[in-house]
Amino acid sequence: MAGRGRGGKTGTLTAEQMAMLGCTKDLPVQTAPPPTFPPVLNRPTTLETTATQNYQLLWKEDFLNRMKDSPYYIVSANQDSQSQEHKDWREKAIERMKLKTQPEFDYKSMPRELNLSSRKRRTADVRPKLLAKKTNIEDRLKILEQKELKTGGAEEDEVKQESDSEQEEEQDDPEAAMDEEMDEENDYGNTYFDNGEAYNDDDDNLDDGPVY
Amino acid sequence: MSADYSHLCSAILEQCFGKVVQLVADCLFSATTRSLSQIASSTKLSRKEVALALAVLVKYRLVDFSASQQNPFLAEYALRREDVLCLLRYPRYVHLVQAKYGNVGASIAEELINSGSDTATGILVKCLTEGENKSESAESYRNSFLQMITDHYIIKKPELLSSDETDEVIPKFETNECDYYRHPNIDLQLLAKIRKGEATVSEAKDGHMVWTLNYDRFHQDFRDSIMIDAIERKLGENAAECFRFILKIMYNTTDPWQRKLSNQVTFVEIKQTIEKKSNNLDLMKYLDQYISLITDDSLGFLRRVGDMGGGLFVVDMEKSFESLAFACVESVITERFGSKAARIFRVIRCKKYIEQEDLQKEAMIPSKEAKSLAYNLFQEQFIHVKIIKKPGGGSNGPAKAFYLFQVREKDTVRMLLDVSYKSLYNTIERSNFEKNEHKGLIEKSQRLDSIVETMKERGESDEYIAEIVETFTPPECEILKKVKNRIKTLSKAELTLDDTIFLLQMYQHHCTTLPTGIRKFK
Repeated sequence: MAGRGRGGKTGTLTAEQMAMLGCTKDLPVQTAPPPTFPPVLNRPTTLETTATQNYQLLWKEDFLNRMKDSPYYIVSANQDSQSQEHKDWREKAIERMKLKTQPEFDYKSMPRELNLSSRKRRTADVRPKLLAKKTNIEDRLKILEQKELKTGGAEEDEVKQESDSEQEEEQDDPEAAMDEEMDEENDYGNTYFDNGEAYNDDDDNLDDGPVY
Repeated sequence: MSADYSHLCSAILEQCFGKVVQLVADCLFSATTRSLSQIASSTKLSRKEVALALAVLVKYRLVDFSASQQNPFLAEYALRREDVLCLLRYPRYVHLVQAKYGNVGASIAEELINSGSDTATGILVKCLTEGENKSESAESYRNSFLQMITDHYIIKKPELLSSDETDEVIPKFETNECDYYRHPNIDLQLLAKIRKGEATVSEAKDGHMVWTLNYDRFHQDFRDSIMIDAIERKLGENAAECFRFILKIMYNTTDPWQRKLSNQVTFVEIKQTIEKKSNNLDLMKYLDQYISLITDDSLGFLRRVGDMGGGLFVVDMEKSFESLAFACVESVITERFGSKAARIFRVIRCKKYIEQEDLQKEAMIPSKEAKSLAYNLFQEQFIHVKIIKKPGGGSNGPAKAFYLFQVREKDTVRMLLDVSYKSLYNTIERSNFEKNEHKGLIEKSQRLDSIVETMKERGESDEYIAEIVETFTPPECEILKKVKNRIKTLSKAELTLDDTIFLLQMYQHHCTTLPTGIRKFK
């Protein structure tokens, strides 16, 4: 590496310097992982229990048990179903007894979005509507199938029938249709959809080449 | 806020409110504010679950909400990180109230803890119907409640502003500092009617006044008792009583959470108060001597600042918590590294900056031992090294530098606080592990206990009961006993650790300018 910088030092350390840093040639070879916990050098002092501490310990245990049984101890639905599988009928019955206590929230002093009960009305409306629609589709599919078997080339009629039945449904309950749209809770216009195909449509003929 | 504190908060919330609340709080801990949909998307929980968890956290005053700056109809939630630790201090709060106001006060505090916050009538009805001291009259409950408000243990929550719109998206509150401790109008006749079922709580006139526990007032008492206990251990009971009166006088003119020094207190004031309120003749006779004893002591709790009115004094909060916190640090060092290491630590603190060679001479410890102890302390970050480089040195060899040991007090305390958070987290986790590991055994013993109890109530024969008890085999008994002992020791460690954490937090409040959890009128 001649000609680079001043030369001389190459950046490696001499054996003497390595020894000063504690690196000797015969380093012990590590064959096993280090222990999980460092060894305890001194035994910790034992704690004395005073009457005050006893009171606090008992109270705390009681408090934690109370919290666990309270409706404010929330377990997610997945976990709940998993744990239910391992329980016998007696435990399930006890759990059901506990569930009777309803949480009390002062929703007036909380943001409205946290109040789930205020939304119940809307969800209750939507569900039966959806079910009704589902059964209609199934029924209609059956009818259509039968028709298809009978007459092969009456496609136009089918289309007409289908659109008719949809219109009927909407006429049945226009509010429900609105509700469904509003349910998304955003201001996105569902009826408007632009797939981008129309973009630059007008200019198409211009792309062919320059017009002189 | 360290990662250790975040883990601790997470474990505490899981213990009290379950997994869902824990996930929501974890999400809030890592951000300043978050909206409901943001939380739902980052925790992957359903909107319903997140809303319920947030409602629980708001109820227990662990989450604040405000309207977003960009969109006034969007609520943003923030976790009160410092208040999560208060959940662990509930037993101490209840014990303090029990000592001051008896069982009636304790059951009021308990109901306030259980419900987070409630109206006075609501709390008293719950105490009278569900509490353990049903025999107590409604009047005694009312008096205790009002007394607790007067003593600032209970505080009124900011009042809800009623607007014309009945269904406001984000409620607004009115804060009025003069109004926090105004007594509510508790109607005893209505209370009686509610108990009989002839009326409902909503008919009460105090429906707009919602009360809750004032954590800062409890912390003020804990802080005072730390100081008074220290004086009692060092200078005796009379000096401790004298200091208690000084603190009482101090609070007449000083904000309890003033950081550094109190306002001035005169000797005459102290003397008059003690003569009025104390029966301790010794204290009255030698008051000046007791005061000079406290002033001259190395703890530095009290400082004489003038001669007006027989002597002007200030309570030096900064100095007192510095001495107390470092007494704690030293005892930690003694327990971990031995008394010689503690001596080295004291020498370094006393000299401010000291070189390795001088250190072993000053501490009078053989050089090799002193070196290893100092390096151990350095490794664990109890002491720090300041490097002063001498300019020049030339091209040959490294520049000459001095390596001086020093104690950066704030850093040392912060490190110890983090270690305490970590060990408290470990204690809680270990305790949970023990409970889970022996869940079957613990549940079996509980079931057996309840069976035996019902059998005793029914008056079954002792032989039959003994037969039932024997279903719990001796080895099982032994394991259960061991597990219970272990859990009890861990719970005791939790209490003791919280004492240390509280002391170090007080150091941070009084000796630094760091923001602490103590806010006036939370």
